Amino acid sequence: MAASCAEMEPAAAPRSPGTGELVCARGRNRKAVLCQRCGSRVLLPGAATFARRELFLPSMKKKTALLASSSPDGDVLQDHWLVDDMFSFENIGFTKDVGNIKFLICADCEVGPIGWHCLDDKKSFYIALDRVSHE
Amino acid sequence: MAKTYDYLFKLLLIGDSGVGKTCLLFRFSEDAFNTTFISTIGIDFKIRTIELDGKKIKLQIWDTAGQERFRTITTAYYRGAMGIMLVYDITNDKSFDNIKNWIRNIEEHASSDVERMILGNKCDMNEKRQVSKEKGEKLAIDYGIKFLETSAKSSINVEEAFFTLARDIMTKLNRKMNDNSSPGAGGPVKITENRSKKSSFFRCTLL
Repeated sequence: MAASCAEMEPAAAPRSPGTGELVCARGRNRKAVLCQRCGSRVLLPGAATFARRELFLPSMKKKTALLASSSPDGDVLQDHWLVDDMFSFENIGFTKDVGNIKFLICADCEVGPIGWHCLDDKKSFYIALDRVSHE
Repeated sequence: MAKTYDYLFKLLLIGDSGVGKTCLLFRFSEDAFNTTFISTIGIDFKIRTIELDGKKIKLQIWDTAGQERFRTITTAYYRGAMGIMLVYDITNDKSFDNIKNWIRNIEEHASSDVERMILGNKCDMNEKRQVSKEKGEKLAIDYGIKFLETSAKSSINVEEAFFTLARDIMTKLNRKMNDNSSPGAGGPVKITENRSKKSSFFRCTLL
C-alpha cells in the first residue's frame, strides 16, 4: 500500500474505487461492517456515514511479520465509516490512550487498529474501510 | 441519530491478575490476535451488544488489567458500574481466597446495589484444580451471589455469565422503576435521567 502517496492527495479527492457499492445514496454504509479476521459484527447496515479524512493507523501485523518485512509501521487511510456515539457500535474494543487518541480494535479477536478516536472530539469515531470487511 | 438500543450497562471484571479476566472478553481466546502495537498499549474497554427478551442491550465492559492491587482499585474505577464479575482461577487457591477481599473492596467503593456474580474460571483445567466447584458454590451462597464455572479457553459458560448478569441488572432496574412510579416512593427516576439531579441513580440507597 502506498501510504506515502495517500498522504499527498488533496482532501477533495474522489472516493476510492469500490466504495460506491458500499455507500448508499444517503451516504451511509449499505452493508454490515465486520472484522476481516473473525467476522465479528462491528456496525449494522446504515449505522455509520462515509467520511474522508487522512488518519494514520499503526500496522495490524504481528511483531514477527513486521520484523521480517520492511513495511512501514502503519498506513495513512482516507476512507472511513464515522459514527457520533460509541454505542452505535455492535462490538468494538477501545485501546488505552495514546496521547489524546484511542485506537479501535475488534472486540472478539482484538485485531487492530481498525479505527481511530480523538479524545478532543467526543462525537467522532472512525473505522477505516480498508481494515474491515463488508457483508 | 436516534438511540438503537434499550439499555446500556457498565460492567467490570475484578479479580487477581492471571485468573483470565481478559480472556473472558474475547469470544475466541485461542484465536486472539494481539498485534505488537495493541498488546503494548493495552485495552481499555469493550462494547458488546446482546439481545435479551427482545431488548437490545449495550454492555460496556472494563477490565482491571494491570491495576489489580486492592489499593489502586478505588471509587473512580467503580463509578457508574452496574454489574461486577468477580473472577478467580480454579487452579489457584489464593485467587479464590482473595474473592472475599474483592467483595470487601466492592462494598467499600462501589454502589451498594451493584449486581455481582462469581466466576470460577479455567474450568477446562480440571487436572490442576485446587478449588472444588462446591467450595465456589458455597462462597456464592454465603454472599447471596450467583455463581458459574467458566472456561474462556473452551467457551464454557462465558456468554451465559454475561447474559445472567445483564438479566439481573435489567430485572433490578425494572423493579426500581416500578417501585418509584408508585406514590410515596423516592421520586420519579427513569434510566434516562440517571445523571440529572442525583449524581447517580445507583447510589441513591447509599446516601
